Amino acid sequence: MRAAGDIKSKLVVKAVRNVQRGYTSDDEGSRGMFRPEIRLDLQRSRLFTESFRQTDGQAMVLRRARALAHVLEHMDIFIRDWERVVGYQTSIPEGLYHPIDMNWRSVKRLVNSEAGKSLLDDMGRKELDELCAYWQGKCMSDRHQEAFGGDLAKYWRYEGTFLWSHWSELGLPDYEALFKTGLDGRIRLAEERLAAIEREIPPDYIGQKEFLQAVIIVLKAVNKFARRYAALAREMAASDPDPGRKAQLEEISRTCDWVPANPPRTFLEAVQFFYFIHLVRYLEYSTLGIGIRFDYLLGPYYERDIREGRLTRDEAREILQLLWVKLMELGLVYSPLLTSVYGGVASLQAVTLGGTDSEGRDITNDLTYLVLEAAREMRTIEPSLALRVHDGTPDELLYKAVEVIRTGVGYPSLFNDRALVPLLEKWGVPPEEARGYAVSGCVYMDIPGKNITRRVVGYFALPKCLWWALHRGVNPKTGEQWGAETPDPASFKSWEEVLEAYLEQVKFFTGKIAQLENTCRDLYARYCPRPFYSAIVDGCIERGLECKQWSYPSMVHDFIIVIGATNVADSLAAIRKVVFEDRLVTLPELIAVMDRNWEGREDLRQACLNAPKYGNDDDYADLIAREVHHRTEAAMETVRDRFGYSMRGDGSAVSATYGLSADTPATPDGRLDGGPFSDSTLAPQPGMDKRGPTAVLNSCAKIDTLKTYNHLLNQKFPPRFLEGEMLPVFVNYIKAWREMGIPHIQFNVVDRETLLDAQVHPEKHRDLIVRVAGYSAYFVDLTRGLQDHIIARSEQGF
Amino acid sequence: MDRSSQTTGKDEKKGLIFNIQRFSVHDGPGIRTTVFLKGCPLSCLWCANPESQLFFPNLMVREINCRGCGACLLACLAGAITLEDGKRRIDRDRCDHCLKCVDACLYQSLNACGKYVGREEVLEEVFKDSVFYKNSSGGVTVSGGEPLYQAEFTAALLAGCKKAGLHTALDTTGHAPWEAMEEVLRFTDLVLFDVKHLDPAAHRRGTGVDNRLILENLMKISGRAVLWLRVPVIPGFNDSGDLIRDIADLGKRAGAEKISLLPYHEGGRSKCDQIGKAYRLPETNPPGEDLLNRLKGIVEEAGIRAAIRS
Repeated sequence: MRAAGDIKSKLVVKAVRNVQRGYTSDDEGSRGMFRPEIRLDLQRSRLFTESFRQTDGQAMVLRRARALAHVLEHMDIFIRDWERVVGYQTSIPEGLYHPIDMNWRSVKRLVNSEAGKSLLDDMGRKELDELCAYWQGKCMSDRHQEAFGGDLAKYWRYEGTFLWSHWSELGLPDYEALFKTGLDGRIRLAEERLAAIEREIPPDYIGQKEFLQAVIIVLKAVNKFARRYAALAREMAASDPDPGRKAQLEEISRTCDWVPANPPRTFLEAVQFFYFIHLVRYLEYSTLGIGIRFDYLLGPYYERDIREGRLTRDEAREILQLLWVKLMELGLVYSPLLTSVYGGVASLQAVTLGGTDSEGRDITNDLTYLVLEAAREMRTIEPSLALRVHDGTPDELLYKAVEVIRTGVGYPSLFNDRALVPLLEKWGVPPEEARGYAVSGCVYMDIPGKNITRRVVGYFALPKCLWWALHRGVNPKTGEQWGAETPDPASFKSWEEVLEAYLEQVKFFTGKIAQLENTCRDLYARYCPRPFYSAIVDGCIERGLECKQWSYPSMVHDFIIVIGATNVADSLAAIRKVVFEDRLVTLPELIAVMDRNWEGREDLRQACLNAPKYGNDDDYADLIAREVHHRTEAAMETVRDRFGYSMRGDGSAVSATYGLSADTPATPDGRLDGGPFSDSTLAPQPGMDKRGPTAVLNSCAKIDTLKTYNHLLNQKFPPRFLEGEMLPVFVNYIKAWREMGIPHIQFNVVDRETLLDAQVHPEKHRDLIVRVAGYSAYFVDLTRGLQDHIIARSEQGF
Repeated sequence: MDRSSQTTGKDEKKGLIFNIQRFSVHDGPGIRTTVFLKGCPLSCLWCANPESQLFFPNLMVREINCRGCGACLLACLAGAITLEDGKRRIDRDRCDHCLKCVDACLYQSLNACGKYVGREEVLEEVFKDSVFYKNSSGGVTVSGGEPLYQAEFTAALLAGCKKAGLHTALDTTGHAPWEAMEEVLRFTDLVLFDVKHLDPAAHRRGTGVDNRLILENLMKISGRAVLWLRVPVIPGFNDSGDLIRDIADLGKRAGAEKISLLPYHEGGRSKCDQIGKAYRLPETNPPGEDLLNRLKGIVEEAGIRAAIRS
């Protein structure tokens, strides 16, 4: 048995380090975008391209299936001398993967810049040039740009109000079904469907046939990929002199011969099965934030092994820790603009624990506890743990969770079934499926196994909408009408009229995002089909339809991450107080002062800062916040996606509250030009919540989850509040949070002094982890500005 | 100037408070809201909240926040504020604490300590955190200052809390007429009772008052409310093992359930600066963890539950 410290030493950190703010690159832009030992691995790009050159003229779904199969059959594989769970995303351990089929420009720019030059050597750069030449005009990003005309082209470029991106396609595989039949079962299902269409000859016969053939190609390739590992392990076992290691290699060989083709029989087989599926998803399509409902799915395998004496608890813990190393190995190259949204992220994977079964019964098992223990020892930034809390969650589990939270890793992050299950039901998810939800990304809710493919369609800076409302939608610098044409602010008689104009802007820009989204949806369905992902969710093989050709019938899937609702609310409260009640200034005068970043009128800025602020359990500001939240969501819901479902918000925040605030000028809440927004949808503006953590929760509870969306709430406590006699108090604070039905909460548990010291002596704090948004990151990896943003968050407790 | 008459003056129903602290976790069990009443007959040298000793709403000054804008100058009718080269000066003797300057200040440099509030207003604030009390077996604590100095208001406040089913605690110096305490105890579940010293002369030296009344009151509480003793541990004043043992024995006789050791900290020094008062305790370091743990052990030996800081 190995010590946890030994396994920890195997961790590779592939998280992105730079955080660009909008298009400004002054924020430590010259620092390496990744840690210096990390390399860009070209094998996937090379093999993918090789295959594409040979399949010209075939249907895209078959081309992509064959390209993925080519990668799985020919990528160099390796097994390191300590591994028991195998599979790798790249051909080298320090490798990052890059999806050249999506976009080649940003990676080419990156490896030729100071920030990315360590990723490739000169030979690699030359090869990359050749590969990029092939994808010119063929990668998804190029196809977009060519497709967009008129307004679409205008609003496609990031200006500061919203960032549209097609990166995010998530969703959780139907592991429950896969574990029952193995991939061979899915292949049989596809073959049966093929046979059926030969009999039925449906109108879309060709489309179905091509898709089903593609499914069979990829699934067989995944089985073959696993068997390559089996063969390698067998070969290595034959020559390994150490009998202990020989036995382990033979075990790997047996496991990989069996899964994922067949149903797993043991805990280890189930873990390996999951990892192969997880890994191939990343190889098929670059994305972030995918996860698994871990204890629910794997608990029964673990418990049966324990019961039947095949496994000890310690051995299971070791397997978990080895899996954690594997999960940390996944990493992607980012476009510089996306680093403003995903500062410090590697792959943003989430492991969901707890919650209920479809009948509402608690599913906590010993694996739930073991995962918490293993994670606590590993202290990795990924995967993030998401603990579903419901009325039947055992107290013991809450205490165990707080033990992990207390270490400062930022997880488990807590999700409240009381708020979220009804929200899912409102979105049209049947109750028994809603109760099975799992978390992916920051706070997205997935229904495991369902075809919920497309997720984040954009990041939306709400304070910029308010700013447009205060400028009639005209950019004062250029005179260009960019937003909606709303009334002259001089005509506003109350803060409510400002709110109405803001909502007009919200509707206008949501419409723009929806237009971009609807065009690209078609583009992706056509040019970027995903036969592998389609094969592992419920319903695609059965329908003979690729995952993007249809959609799980609910508005759970497509959403826009909204940031800065608090700043909008605080701004409206300040306008109400300073302009319409105290009459210190007229609205046009206030706007003029704001537009020169408050210059010469610090007194006015102070008056705005002193106006009531959301987060103090003061109805003056809180009821405005409620109005802003509820009505912003209602305004967004008036816009439809191409399947006819309403667009909606989402509280994920990521690091966009910092990264995407750079292009919003000063706002009436007293915020300076480019200053950060509040760090999550439910969070008060840093430093503005002065009545402590109970007041914050009371303010949050005034915002109705059912009238909005899933939220995120960060709280920061010093470690002493989670220790000794304070521990039960803290757990009880969480119980009150549960009773209040606030959808989410997560904690940064760290002393301010530690963070300040880490800025001065990063070398002493390499292991220091902080919660950024729905993910954790190494503090020293973050850029100074984002570090300051985290330090500025109000510390609770007295 | 004596404004203490206002506390019992024209409006009987109002109390003078200086803070309502929510998420209070060191003043009794669970998550609590602590209502701090203003005015204290003691003047402990180490007092962490010297502003709470005064019996009237007073001016507090944070020099560091002043931007020299001069708004306070215009507001001050007493002519106590001057501005020279952008540097504000306040003549404390001329200040009559009318607090008009506080309203004028945009930068939180001038702040008021204390306001008269009605019972219902306080109750409304207290009830806001009921869900936290319920989940943590917490409640409300009335502290000070010395809350028994406003016994009528305190009793009315605690009665309102009891009526709403909240757990109630009284944090007291014990220096009050027994009749006042008796009235308040009718609505009190838990008394947090300060014991600073057992020797009358030392007590007078440290707190400005004799401890006879305090110790008499202490012995009368048993059976009327749960009793916890609180000992501020002041190095060089009351940190000897013998004294702590004696206090523990006393606690035992008085029926105390727990003794909290509250280590000295220097928080009162900056507050003294803010109210323009001299901090009279000589330079003193906070007690070390070793000492605190040793004293905690002594209390436990005497058979009473002990805690540090809570």
